[in-house]
Amino acid sequence: MKPRANDSAFLLDPHRRGVPGVERMRRYRDEDEVDLLIVGCGAGGGVLAQRLARRGWRVVVLEEGPFWDPDRDWVSDEAGSHALYWTRKRIIGGGDPVEMGKNNSGRGVGGSMTHFAGYAPRFHPSDFETKTREGVGADWPISYWDLKEHYEELERELPVAGQHWPWGDPHRYPHGPHPVGGAAECAWRGARNCGIEMRMGPVAITNGQFGNRPHCIYRGFCLEGCKVNAKASPLITHVPDALEHGAEVRADSMAVRVEIDDSSGRVTGVTYIHDGRERFQRAAAVAVAGYSIETPRLLLNSTSARFPNGLANNNDQVGRYLMVQGASQLAARFPEKLRMYKAPPPEVSSEQFYETDESRGFARGFSIQTVSPLPIGWAEHVIAEGHWGADLRRHMADYNHWSVLGMLCELLPLPDNRVTLADEPDDYGMPVARVDYTQCDNDRANIAYAKRVLREIWENAGAEEIFSIDRYAHLVGGCRMGFSPEDSVVDADHRAWEVPNLFITDGSVCPTQGSANPALTIMALASRLAERLDSGRARAGNGSFAAVARG
Amino acid sequence: MSGQGAVGGGQGWDALSQASHWDAKTRELVLDRVHNVPPIRFFTAEEARTLRAFCDVVTAQDGEPRIEVLNYVDEKMFEGRLDGFQYADMPDDRDVWRQVARHLDDEAGGSYADAAPELQRAICSLFADGRLDWELPVDKAWKVVTRGILSCFYAHPYAWNEIGFPGPAYPRGYSALGVDGREQWEPKE
Repeated sequence: MKPRANDSAFLLDPHRRGVPGVERMRRYRDEDEVDLLIVGCGAGGGVLAQRLARRGWRVVVLEEGPFWDPDRDWVSDEAGSHALYWTRKRIIGGGDPVEMGKNNSGRGVGGSMTHFAGYAPRFHPSDFETKTREGVGADWPISYWDLKEHYEELERELPVAGQHWPWGDPHRYPHGPHPVGGAAECAWRGARNCGIEMRMGPVAITNGQFGNRPHCIYRGFCLEGCKVNAKASPLITHVPDALEHGAEVRADSMAVRVEIDDSSGRVTGVTYIHDGRERFQRAAAVAVAGYSIETPRLLLNSTSARFPNGLANNNDQVGRYLMVQGASQLAARFPEKLRMYKAPPPEVSSEQFYETDESRGFARGFSIQTVSPLPIGWAEHVIAEGHWGADLRRHMADYNHWSVLGMLCELLPLPDNRVTLADEPDDYGMPVARVDYTQCDNDRANIAYAKRVLREIWENAGAEEIFSIDRYAHLVGGCRMGFSPEDSVVDADHRAWEVPNLFITDGSVCPTQGSANPALTIMALASRLAERLDSGRARAGNGSFAAVARG
Repeated sequence: MSGQGAVGGGQGWDALSQASHWDAKTRELVLDRVHNVPPIRFFTAEEARTLRAFCDVVTAQDGEPRIEVLNYVDEKMFEGRLDGFQYADMPDDRDVWRQVARHLDDEAGGSYADAAPELQRAICSLFADGRLDWELPVDKAWKVVTRGILSCFYAHPYAWNEIGFPGPAYPRGYSALGVDGREQWEPKE
């Protein structure tokens, strides 16, 4: 099934993994006032660039990390994949600090999706109105139905493989389900035995040839960057088409300030560091897509007379309502060899517990997904159980008998879970981010309940031993969209309430997170924004692209 | 093996025997890891002596062949390849390692490296349980150092052999995915 307006899969080279045409890419000068300057080339920035370049906009994307070439830069090795992660320092605090790095932060063209597992579920319709429905969380100023056509289009572009999906808004996937490995088979057996429905997928991994992208080879290194070009990331799903239509992706370029004209209150461009030198790219409008930590950090660092507390932050909303999902994992040992290193870690999942069930005693819910860590990741489970020394080695030697299930608990948006600036500067002289996070009672009840369900699944699968590790996954929020400048940073069209030509187009705009992995929703939001910007619906323009974005 | 001892036994498997099936980039990286153990450049000789002993206790290495865990940790610290976060009540990871070295020596009454194996393990046990009174949060310090140790130890083919992990899998991939599934070339029971 060919996407309607994205030739990326066909522009790739069948024999090489790198994006063709990088050397021929259109280049803009810093003095050129481009129509839109995007900061960050991940799920949000990559899609927005592709959509608008195709519609004739003059687009430049600044990306802190490299322009990856999977053949040249990536390895089939866990420890050797460190460069894929955003590992610049962040200070973590609060009552329940969230560990960053490889778990939730990416860098380079393709963003975190280069090392996401591959799960690509949609949000449920309820996620957009939890406040109205259940009195918790927040309502979005848009609904599921505003995103539906974009979900469908992106599922064709990635493409997403899976069985017919019975939860949320039921739907089908363009690619059929992948085969299930031994580790996931055990999990599914346990779920069936206690009446829990699971389905294969949804994973953004080709099942069959797709354009010039080959079939998945089931080597299990999804979190280390897909050397096969089978797993989706914007690097291969949107950037090739963006370049083909004249966008420039300027890698190794760290944005440090969004600049503003204090008299007009309008953004003029972005100051960035490239090759150790500070430069300034002019733009008619700026879209920040640095994800939930770096986007607030960049805005907070962009101070001026008009915005002494950070750009678009005169209502003290920037950085607030940061969310993560409770992602404890339970591992189980079986007598058979399961070899969980085979097949993609994302295989089967369940959204049976996604919606609120009042009998559980808390609002909202969680999803269940197979994970399957490689040896280093698995060792973290073993040591978390208190095993070290000879004990550690003995348990590790048993690696091939274990299977791991994870959960994604919807934790609620809270104003004091937030990103601020720490006193310590990074290599660029820019203050590092401080991230404070504390769970509320509903969060704790949700996580505890989900862990009991996972344990029940393993017990019903015949597990001989069970390990448990507490952790978090994913990031959203931090610059949420809302109904007024007092409750949010951007409006329903991602436009900063306080700055007419500044947009935010990444996961930080999400007011709630559901129990779904956020990548597909971030892409769908960017796709919708592109459509609205281009048609001028976001704000009546006077005809030129720049005028539309300028507002 | 003496005790746990040498690394790599047990499953009758040598991941390196498959190196010709790996892509060139990965092969270069993994073989370099095995054959060119990085020198100690970050830690002082004294710190290195203490921490090497500690790494061996955590990974139960008391024979040959061994994995020089501390050298790989040192390389990360020297190059500043940290994990991307720091607890607000903790120093930088590089300082955590140095402080841990100092505290381990203090706990051993002078030199952790020269202490009897039983004492080394007893101190490690208290450290793992968070039952030491140090100026930095002991439970978090344990997480910092063990994360570093495990990510180096289980990056090594000798450790893969021991757990039956075949290592790099590109471009060959896998086809026998099911329960008890085994590729022809994979480790046998």
